[in-house]
Amino acid sequence: MIAKMRGNYLLLTIIIIALALFPFVSDSRTLTILLTQIFIFAILAMSYDVLLGYTGIVSFGHAMFFGIGAYATAIILKKTEPTMLSFFLSIIVGMLLAGIVSFIIGLLTLRLQSHFFAMFTLAVSGLFLVAAEKSRTLTQGNDGFTFRAPEFFADRTTFYLFVLACLLIIFLLLRLFVHSPFGSVLIAVKENETRSAALGYKAIYYKVMSSVVAGVVASLAGSLYVVSLRFVNTSVMGIDITLNALLMTIIGGVGTLVGPILGAAIIQLAQHNLSNLAKTYPIFERWIIFFGIIYILAVIFFPKGVVGTIREKLGRKS
Amino acid sequence: MELWINLTVNGLATGMLIFLLASGLTLIFGLMSVLNFAHGGLFAWGAYAGVWFYTVTNSFTLALIGAILTGAVLGFITEKLIITPVYGDHVQQILITLGFMIVLSEMLKVVWGPNQIAAKVPPALSGSWEFGDVLIIKYRLFIIIIGFLVFGIFQYILKRTKIGLIVRAGVLNKEMVQALGINIKRVFLLVFMTGAALAAFGGALMAPYSGVIYAEMGMDFAILAFIVVVIGGMGSFPGSLLAAILVGLAGSYMAYYVPDLSLAVNMIIMVIVLIFRPQGLFQVKG
Repeated sequence: MIAKMRGNYLLLTIIIIALALFPFVSDSRTLTILLTQIFIFAILAMSYDVLLGYTGIVSFGHAMFFGIGAYATAIILKKTEPTMLSFFLSIIVGMLLAGIVSFIIGLLTLRLQSHFFAMFTLAVSGLFLVAAEKSRTLTQGNDGFTFRAPEFFADRTTFYLFVLACLLIIFLLLRLFVHSPFGSVLIAVKENETRSAALGYKAIYYKVMSSVVAGVVASLAGSLYVVSLRFVNTSVMGIDITLNALLMTIIGGVGTLVGPILGAAIIQLAQHNLSNLAKTYPIFERWIIFFGIIYILAVIFFPKGVVGTIREKLGRKS
Repeated sequence: MELWINLTVNGLATGMLIFLLASGLTLIFGLMSVLNFAHGGLFAWGAYAGVWFYTVTNSFTLALIGAILTGAVLGFITEKLIITPVYGDHVQQILITLGFMIVLSEMLKVVWGPNQIAAKVPPALSGSWEFGDVLIIKYRLFIIIIGFLVFGIFQYILKRTKIGLIVRAGVLNKEMVQALGINIKRVFLLVFMTGAALAAFGGALMAPYSGVIYAEMGMDFAILAFIVVVIGGMGSFPGSLLAAILVGLAGSYMAYYVPDLSLAVNMIIMVIVLIFRPQGLFQVKG
């Protein structure tokens, strides 16, 4: 067991060193940018997995928190001098806002059955999208606005390494979180809420805390996302963002933090290649259909995702 | 005065369209506790089918029938392919029906292209009536009448016929109905197809009302229908009518007086209902 754990850490270290060295070995700009996107979405998907995989909550409003972070960073960088200080400040502002919003929504609705919660989050995130479109003075609606990123991120490689570091830190923190006693209670609540309540754990408290953690991490992903684009518009609040996170989590493996990272890589690479294919074969312009179909098939036949299935085959649990 | 009447007529018409979507949703939920996130997709398919049949046949009646049939067929496919495999698992149901929603709306773009399509009001129903100072648009009145008619017919079926009795009993206690030797799954398939047909019918009525149709319209309306189902109480047929009218009227008045809050007001109603009466305003009783 311990040898296996060591093996895992060794593998992880090798992968991280390889990824960190990647931009110095390859000079492909497209690939660096694509990998940066993968890392950002991996952070988002991991935060979604805390909800779906570890707490058993289906939220259709995750884009809301991503959007909060995105707009916090974009607006602050636009209104102030784009320094690293204001960048970090904007990340903190975004996280705080996302934390407050997820706390309120969670407190109001997490007592409800899963259907109600899913519906409710869908409606609230729709409301946020409309609010972002309406407050044009701040967001300029669907047209969006560009802004300058901090000087430090002018070089794509620096930003790549920064995002990679963020991914690693978030991964380790979330790993600590889900393997802590608190995380064990979350899994207990997911498996059987009545029984964990009978054991004296207040399910609602654990659910709200889990949704706050997920919201805060999603906000960080949003902040990084807009800095990578140096542009923001209302699409950061769109349902597509939530669906992407959902897809990455499910295909990668629900309830494993490595799974969503892998899922993010698979989905982003596939999107990239399929939209290239669309130039030659027009049918691929509607590549979302293939995703929808793969997703449905995954839910029916492959509910544990890539990582979950591999782990099952190897015959051990988490 | 004229303004008030017009706002009320608008609100009622929108409410009726939402009702057609929400009534199926609420019965499907009441019977098998399946929340169908793809329901809005069926609505959008109904709208596209209606417009297509209308341009082909040039008859609005045939267009509506075509839309209803499209909805029923899609409902059959959805139930067999999407709902049955994950029966009983709520989380998977939510995930899979949302996935099917995406497939449905993307398929619309494949068949009819990604752009908006214009929809015309049939000549017999275009124009308006004048009552003194008050101008009432014919098509809106038509929607309201149809909405009440549908409600009346279904209320009759639910209250007075044997199949309605089975459906109502199933909403209350499906194990007991099954124990009495009734194949509840077949009843459910029927209810699902009817709900899908109603949604498609609503979509077909919606198209001339809004003038344009687009693939994402399903999702926009589905959100309203979800709000209605929550307010009206899951499984309650009259509840969904009243809640739909409430949401329609609130939206119409707010769109005039405080446009920025028109979606927010429905959300606020839903939040209040969820906090104080999580079972909805109308609970299903025996």
